[in-house]
Formats: sequence, C-alpha cells, structure tokens
Amino acid sequence: MKHASFVKQAFVFGIFLFIASIHSAYAILPIEQLPVVNGAKAFLVQTKALPMVDIEVSIDAGDRYDPKGKSGLASMTAELMSYGVRGELRGLSEAQIADEIADLGANIATSVSGERATLRIRSLSRKDLRDRAVQLAADMLSAPIYDAKILAREKQRSITGLLEAETKPDFVLERQFSKLIYGDYPLANSPSVKSINAIETNDLVRFHKQFYRGERMIVSIVGDVSPAEANEIVQTLLKRIPPSGPAIPALPAFTRSPVESLADREMDIPFDSQQAHIAMGMTAITRNNPDFFPLLVGNYVLGGGGFVSRLMTEVREKRGLAYSVFSYFAPGKDVGIFQAGLQTKSDQAALALDVMSSTMAKFIEDGPTQSELLAAKANLINGYPLRIDNNRKLLDTVSSIVWNGLPLDTMETWTQQVNAVTLEQVNAAFQKYLAMDRMKIVVLGASK
Amino acid sequence: MILQMRSVLPRLSLLFLLCMPLLACAEANQTADTHEYQLSNGLKLIVREDHRAPTVAHMVWYRAGSIDETNGRTGVAHVLEHMMFKGTDQVKAGEFSRLVAAVGGRENAFTNRDYTAFFQQVEKSKLNDVMKLEADRMSNLNFDDAEYAKEIQVIMEERRLRTEDNPASLLNESLMATAFMSSPYRHPVIGWMNDLQNMKAVDALNWYQSWYAPNNAVVVISGDVDPEQTLRMVEKYYGPAQARQLPVRKPQIEPPQKGIKQVEVKAPADSLQLAMAWKVPRLEPGKLDDVEPYALELLAGVLDGYDNARLDRILVKQERVVNDINVSYDMISRGPELFTISARVAKGKTIAQSQAAIRRVLNELIAKGILDSELKRIQVHLLSDQIYKRDSIFGQAMEIGNIEMAGFSWRDIDTILEKMQTITPEQVQAVAKKYLVDSSLTIAVLDPQARNTAAVSNMGAAK
Repeated sequence: MKHASFVKQAFVFGIFLFIASIHSAYAILPIEQLPVVNGAKAFLVQTKALPMVDIEVSIDAGDRYDPKGKSGLASMTAELMSYGVRGELRGLSEAQIADEIADLGANIATSVSGERATLRIRSLSRKDLRDRAVQLAADMLSAPIYDAKILAREKQRSITGLLEAETKPDFVLERQFSKLIYGDYPLANSPSVKSINAIETNDLVRFHKQFYRGERMIVSIVGDVSPAEANEIVQTLLKRIPPSGPAIPALPAFTRSPVESLADREMDIPFDSQQAHIAMGMTAITRNNPDFFPLLVGNYVLGGGGFVSRLMTEVREKRGLAYSVFSYFAPGKDVGIFQAGLQTKSDQAALALDVMSSTMAKFIEDGPTQSELLAAKANLINGYPLRIDNNRKLLDTVSSIVWNGLPLDTMETWTQQVNAVTLEQVNAAFQKYLAMDRMKIVVLGASK
Repeated sequence: MILQMRSVLPRLSLLFLLCMPLLACAEANQTADTHEYQLSNGLKLIVREDHRAPTVAHMVWYRAGSIDETNGRTGVAHVLEHMMFKGTDQVKAGEFSRLVAAVGGRENAFTNRDYTAFFQQVEKSKLNDVMKLEADRMSNLNFDDAEYAKEIQVIMEERRLRTEDNPASLLNESLMATAFMSSPYRHPVIGWMNDLQNMKAVDALNWYQSWYAPNNAVVVISGDVDPEQTLRMVEKYYGPAQARQLPVRKPQIEPPQKGIKQVEVKAPADSLQLAMAWKVPRLEPGKLDDVEPYALELLAGVLDGYDNARLDRILVKQERVVNDINVSYDMISRGPELFTISARVAKGKTIAQSQAAIRRVLNELIAKGILDSELKRIQVHLLSDQIYKRDSIFGQAMEIGNIEMAGFSWRDIDTILEKMQTITPEQVQAVAKKYLVDSSLTIAVLDPQARNTAAVSNMGAAK
C-alpha cells in the first residue's frame, strides 16, 4: 500500500479529528449465518442496490501471537501473502497478482491489528469478475510463497519505516503507552529493528501454517450476492485451508492495571517537538462485557462526543489548550483498554495534563448529570443509522459482531440497549473499571 | 422565486457506453438522480437522491479558500471556518455543535485552497434541524473577542500538530512556496505561523462579510430525500439570505517558470525525502475536450496507480532505491497545477540516485511509450470506482461540491469519465514528453536531522 508523504490538496480539517469512540453497530438488515466451511464460520448481509460485494476474512492471527524477539512476524505474514502464491491452477508472482487485481477492477488488501489479521476483497458482483477476485484471494490465503528475496526487501522497507516513525512524537508515545498498559500481555511488545531483522522465511511459513486454519477464521460478506452465491465464495476461499491443527499455547493473562504511585505509572519522554503529546489510560473491558453500553454512553459525555464532551469543553473550548482531545474504550474479543489523549504546546503540558486528569477524576467520581446522560443517549440513538448506511460500514459492523461473538441481532437491539442505560449504571461502571490511581501516563516532549 | 433547472440526467450511461470487455456493463441501472436548482438570491442547490439508507448528508460549500487570501492574512479562510462554530445572533457559542449532537448528527468543516465547506450527516428526519442552523450562520455569525482569542490558540496548536512537527508537511510547504512566485497557492492553507500570531478577530469578520453570501455558495444534499420537499426547505431557510456583491478576484496568473528551482528543508526525520514537481495544465471549465489533463491523470495512474505500476515496480521492488513513492496530480482546481512525484529514499541510497532513477523511468516512458494493457488497467479501475464510490452517501456529495467549486458543473463528472476512457497510450506519452521538463521543475529535498532528544528517561515501572 502507498504511503503518501505529500497531501497535495492540503486539506486542513476543521474543528476536530474524528476519534472513534466505542465502535458498535445497528441495522435493520439481518445477518444470515451461512454453512461452516472447513471450520470457518461465515455470515452474510445481502444488499442489492449496488452491483458490488465486500468480503472480509478475519483470522485469529494478530500481533499478539508474535513470538518473543520476533515482533512484526504476524504483520509480515499477512502482508507477504500478496507477494507471490503457489496458486491452485498456477503460480503467480507479486507482479502478476498486482496486475490481476487491477485488471479486475478489484481491491484486495490485508491488515493486521492486535487481535486479528484481515483480508478484504472489494469486487463488482458480476460472477466472472467476482470469481476471479475470490480465487486470487483464496490462493493468497492458502498458498503464499514467502520468497526469501522479497522478505529481505520488505524487512528493509519495514525497518526504514520504523526508523522514520521513531522520529515522530505520536508513534513514540503510542509505543511507550502500549508497553506500559499491556504489561505482560504480548501486545506490550512493538516491532524493533532487531525483532524485524530476526524474522526468517521459515518463521513466516511456520506462522502461516500454525494460525491460518479454518477454525481460526470468520468470513463476513456484504453486498449483492445471494446466500447460495455467498456460500460458493466461502467454499472457494476456504477450499485449501486446513480446518484445524495442533493446539496453540494460551497467551499470558491480560491483568488489570494495578494501583501504583504516580511515579511508578507515569513516564516522561524528552522529545524536542513543538508540542507535547500525552496519553493516559488503563486496562478495561472486552466487547462482550454487559457493561459495554453504560461505558459507551458515559464515555460519550467524558471524551467521545466530539465538541460537546467534557474533555473537549475543558481543554479546548474553555482554555484553547489543544486542537484534539479525546477518550475512548477499545474493547476487543479478549482484551480491551481505555485511553485518553491530547497534544499541546510543549510548555503547556503540565497544565493540560492537570486539566485532563481533574476532568477525568471528577467524572469517575460523580458521573454525568441527568441532562448529559440524556444528551448522550439522544446522540447515540438518533445517530445510529449513520453507523450502517453503506456496505463498507455494514461490513465493519458485521465483522465486529461476529468476531466478538455477539448475538446476531445486535444491530436490531443496539438502540434499545443504549436507551436502557441508567445514570446509576454509568456511575457504577466507571467506578468499577476506571481508577485514577491505576492510570498509566506517558508525557512526551514536555518542556519545563 | 426560484429559477429551476431540474435535471434527471442519467448517470447510468457511462458503463453502457464504454463497456470494457472486462466490465461488460456491471448492470449500471442504479441511476443516482441529481437535481439542480437556483434560488433568486443566487444560491445553487444540488440534490442527489440515494435511497439505500435513511440518512442524508447536508453540505454548504463557499467558494472562498486560501487562494482568495491576501498577504499578511494567510490562514484567514481556515480561521473563519473555526469561528463559524462560535455563535450567531440566535445561537450561543458552542450551541451549534450541541444541537447537531442532540439529533445524532456528525458534523465538521474543512478548508482548502479553493473553498471552505461545512457539513452534517443525519438521519433523514433531522435534516430540517441542521439546515436551519447552517442557514442561520450563513448570515448571522456573531462571535465575541474572547472566543476568538481562545480559538486562535487552538488553530496554532493545529498548525503545530500538522505542520511544525511534521517534516513531510514542512517539505510540502516549502515546495509550494518555491514552485509558485505569484499564485496564492504558494501559501499554506493553515497560514504562516506569524500571520496567525498577528491575526485579529476583525480579519476573520471581514472575511466572513466578503465571501459568505448565498451567491458565493453551493448547497449539496445527498441521501434519502425528496428533491421537491428539499427545495422547499432550502428556500425556507436559505431563501432570506441576501445576495451580496463579492470582492473582485484578480487572476494572479503564475508567470511561466524559466528554469529549475530547488529548495532544501532540514527537519527532524530519519529518511531523505525527495519531491519533484512540474507545472502542468489543469482542466478548465468549458474546455472539456482538452485531452492533456486526462492524459496527465492517466500518466499518474500508470506511474503509481496500483501495486505493480511503473515507479513502484522498478524503484521500490526491483532497484530498491526508494522506500516508497507517490505521484499526485489533480486536474480539478481553481489554481495552477503541479504534477508531483515524491519519494522516501531507501537506506544507503542518495537523493541523486533516487532522482536519477525517477528520471530514467520517465525518460524510458517518454522514449518508448506505454503499453495498451497498462493504460487499460487504469481505465478499468476508473470504471469500477464509479460503482464503488456510490457506496458512500457523503462521498457523492463531496464529489459534487468539489467539482462545482472549481467552476464546473456536476454534469461534467460523466463527461470527464467518458473522456478518460478515450485517451490513448500516445497521448499519455505526449504529455509526459511535453510537460515533464526541467524548465518547469521544482525539486524539494528533506535533509533529515537527528532529534535533539535524550534517551528515554524511565520515571516509572516501564517494562
């Protein structure tokens, strides 16, 4: 994928950065469960208005499975799937794969997050085009070559990118924050020059063989295909994928951020940028936690609700300290965190941290007011159609529901669940999961 | 009183007309109905019907961007954009966002060189509420100095975040300031820091009074709406706004460049970066038959439009002289255009090597032309993107507003796409030969500096 170092149109995005708050979903369209293929579950939302289809394969093969000393392996394994395959019918080089995708007018992309790797296909739904795109993706998924020369090149590119990133304040902040918040959980480790250098072809082959199997995959499809056609797509995608394999050792437990003295949980990183960057947060909930909705509603008031949140009001609107300030819960299937952050002129870091901390402390202590609660619920409920008003958003939503093992009617019940949240539930949930004396704090680039 | 120019020009024709063998007409029957109206106060309204979901995007575009700014007041278009959220005669500071939030809306605004735009996305029954608010601030903005004093601090933070601490932005800023001598495109949209420091509330207010008028605005509404009802709503809320004489816009035509220009930027970074930018023509309203802009767009695609495009294949994958490479050209704009190739240099390679490699690829293309298959690939992608982009209700409004601001009609979108399909390999070769020449080239180089940063001091229990 491209890294545009120049944004030609030089958009200056007004007012605030869109910050994803807790992501969830709603829809009227039903999610249909398709037959399991080679151990992989599959789901469809059929939309007929546009002659196109979006397909996602989620694989339980995220960064958290990087072996010790080889951080970056999971990402490399997914990324290199498109750089040469031993296809069912023919071998294809990276150039041939790229040309074929372009010739089909399709997009095929891979990405990796902490929990999962994903492969996404967007194609016109016409059968001949769709079939070729799906076959190509199936070859990538099941039979990547992992050529040593290409690996060497991509390692070098990755290292160059990493060294560049290490000069950027937001990257350095996030890396340190992950280290603090994840503790003994593997997501504490980020790729380093050393860990990327340590990755060999055999590692990719082994990782792929170990994790890319049907029982660890879920397929989500949104678009203009019937259930029967969708089932064909899943059959093709999974045809050469083994359903299961040897047991995979359990990951270390993800344990709650402990109570610590400020000195033990705050970290200062000297950095000669014009702005200081601040991150604050702690471990929180997974998506299937029943307290998800009280925390979603509460966080809207605290730092999720764009211009109208308390953090935005206190930090930006009242004091002009920052352009962007936010808080969010990031609940996954197995791990979840809460994080808040801002950037401010270096010499204002202490003041901004103070305002942010006291705003959060007060909120955890007292919760929202009744009118804030109503405003939060009104926004979330009235705005729910915007979460699912195109195929792309529907795919994100379906994928999140099935990955997190939520009920398939989650979209239908979502607004009711928001509506049912009470002030007491919000207060109780914030006090249960968040505590100022457990918050990890990273301050980068503050000048004293 | 309105002057109605309703159109239901079918947008489906394209794929039927051009059926590439491969695409053989992806049943292009989802005509997106588009309707255009003009109010007597000069406001143009464009409605794009899309009934797939019960939502609507409401946008107001003002033809006032950094291209309209004057020296010493750079950034004022963007400053005013921020101040538009700071209250009107009726609505207190901060209330606008609170009211939009209450109806579940998503909102924001953006400024660029050619325009400033404001938008809300809402469930369709809430359109009335947000339109009332948006129309109110077209005429009745009223903020106080205290609000201004805080907001200008926020904007300076935005500049620090996006530009001062971002070497790629700094490089781009210098590239533009070097490439252009007289065009206002030489100034960054967010403004120079010193101009922001010296800006006054009255500057923003003057900007508002100059440009925020119905006869300088286009309202674009896409989504699940009825066009006639929407028109009545727009008349009700935007109708009372008074048309105004707009300031005279001087052409400020950039004089021809007479030789290569170079600029170097030192900033904290790790990789060398290189940008090569040539002055090239843009598409001009009323001259849709001019093939050169289309050929330049396709040239950009052939060089960098997919993973195995020429520059990626040769420079990134085969020779490994650059880590990544990007080509940009946008034929739709109000001001002068650049065709820009930018790259981050690979470890151990030099700027000279990268530049030589880029020139070698270009020279080969100029000498030997391009393959039919290369061009087709880009053209096919343009066709499939026609379908994909209809997936986004908001994206459709964006496309319409963007082209209208540059002086075109939304009706030109189809014509432009059809023209793109008629371009030949020879025409692509010809524009490369004609325009990618040194006399109109500007080169910008980022010379990376180590950050003056001590080792991480571990105050805590970092593991």
